[in-house]
Amino acid sequence: MTVPRNDPTDTGGLFIGRRPGTGPVRYRTPPERGGERRRRTDSLLAVAVLVAELLVVLSAFGPQPVGWLWAGSQVDFRTGSVFLGITVAFLGLLASVIFTLMLATRLDHLWRLLRRAAGHDQREGVLGRIFVTAAVVSAIAFTVWLVLIEGPGPSIAPR
Amino acid sequence: MAGADRGPGALDRPALRDGAAIKRFREYYRQFEELAPEQVSRELRERSAAVKRHALSRVDPLDLSGTGWYEPPHPEAVNAATFALRGALNAYPDASATAVREALAERHGLAPDQVALGHGAGELLRAACSALLRDSGDALVGWPGWQPLPELIEAAGGCALPVPPMTTEILAHLGPATRAVLLSSPADPTGAVLARRALRELCARVPEQVIVVVDEALGEFEPEGEDAAGLVAELPNLLVVRSFSKAHALAGLRAGAALGPAALMARLPPGGGISSPAQAAVLWAVSERGREIAARRRAAAAAAHERLAAALAGSPLSALPATVPFAWISSAAEDGPAIAARLASQQVFVAPGRLWGDERHVRAALRGAAAVDRLARALLT
Repeated sequence: MTVPRNDPTDTGGLFIGRRPGTGPVRYRTPPERGGERRRRTDSLLAVAVLVAELLVVLSAFGPQPVGWLWAGSQVDFRTGSVFLGITVAFLGLLASVIFTLMLATRLDHLWRLLRRAAGHDQREGVLGRIFVTAAVVSAIAFTVWLVLIEGPGPSIAPR
Repeated sequence: MAGADRGPGALDRPALRDGAAIKRFREYYRQFEELAPEQVSRELRERSAAVKRHALSRVDPLDLSGTGWYEPPHPEAVNAATFALRGALNAYPDASATAVREALAERHGLAPDQVALGHGAGELLRAACSALLRDSGDALVGWPGWQPLPELIEAAGGCALPVPPMTTEILAHLGPATRAVLLSSPADPTGAVLARRALRELCARVPEQVIVVVDEALGEFEPEGEDAAGLVAELPNLLVVRSFSKAHALAGLRAGAALGPAALMARLPPGGGISSPAQAAVLWAVSERGREIAARRRAAAAAAHERLAAALAGSPLSALPATVPFAWISSAAEDGPAIAARLASQQVFVAPGRLWGDERHVRAALRGAAAVDRLARALLT
């Protein structure tokens, strides 16, 4: 007997299995949670870590590129080498973005632990959504800055 | 209160100095770390392997203490019974079971009134004992034979006298109070078959008031033409009781047949007859097809005996040659209880011979090639 392959559980439509990705979090041993006060504290800490994570990710879309462009310009100014300035800016930005992602990943992990300690069934992190949100916000902000505040570039701007 | 609410992993100022509190603090949050998918998979694999190892190491008990056929009834018998059950559940069955009695009479060359049906061979033997002994009288029982026979005789008010199942012995023990001679063929537990010649001689030499009753519950395992049922037409003092629980594996339907003198047959059937499904299944069992299936099982039982004999060849163990689906096993090196205990230690359970007052033998069912091989291995271990 053949079964249509549109069954997410691949159980022949009997739904006796669990849908993929909906399994419970498996711990090594059942966690022993703290009291109500401890859980409230963990909940507040989770919010703080989430904010920090958001700021860290946002920094990769604005402050860090700007900072490395400034650093590259300084190198160009002090050495007279445009190539060296661009190289420093590019490699520096790459290194700082990688470092930012590592930091954000650890913060996300910490956030998951705090959420679970606070009593939530937190199965996945929120880094992906923060990254997408930050990218969208940054793109909008850049567009607003470029078009409305700073205006188009010299080639098409009215003189 | 605050201390009670701190919970596990809470920071403790004095303990901060030696680092234990920090370690405990970190451990508290580490317990919320999930296992990686590969760790989960590894654990599941290990658990599955442990379950498999346990299943492979487990030895299922093998019950070889019965005498019936080890397979379920033939599907055609089940179909016949089911058809009858669906069609006539609201109607009373034919109390005289005319069709079945006619079929049985035709098979054994008898008149239909020489056939009676009952709720199994055991119930027919009970009814026969009651009819023959009438609250008194002796009955000679060929021993070893079907184990409940003495109880049935005692329950009917008679006195059971066990005798070796040989004509000379039986004739020597006949007395003025003897009303019946009860024999088993093939005998349970030995599988020994009464020779037709011996049975003719016995029936001819017993006094007029004595009826020879042959329990032929395992009669389907005798070759056609060598059973006692074929002698009922010519021997007026012979009563043969047959069962459909053994070769046809219809024990759940409780159906048996008695063949004998018409006057006696009229006193054996139960009041309302046997049920419609039982009649339908028996009708199938009496048919050519049913006899063909019984013949196949007879051949399989004989093959199982040969298999066991071949496996035990050269050992102190031996089994009586027979065509029934069980073997009467003894050993030159040990007694029956020791054999039974040794088998039981290997999860193979047999009927000890002491149930028949025999300390040298055990009775073991032959339930197919795999079970025979396991029995032989257990016997030889």
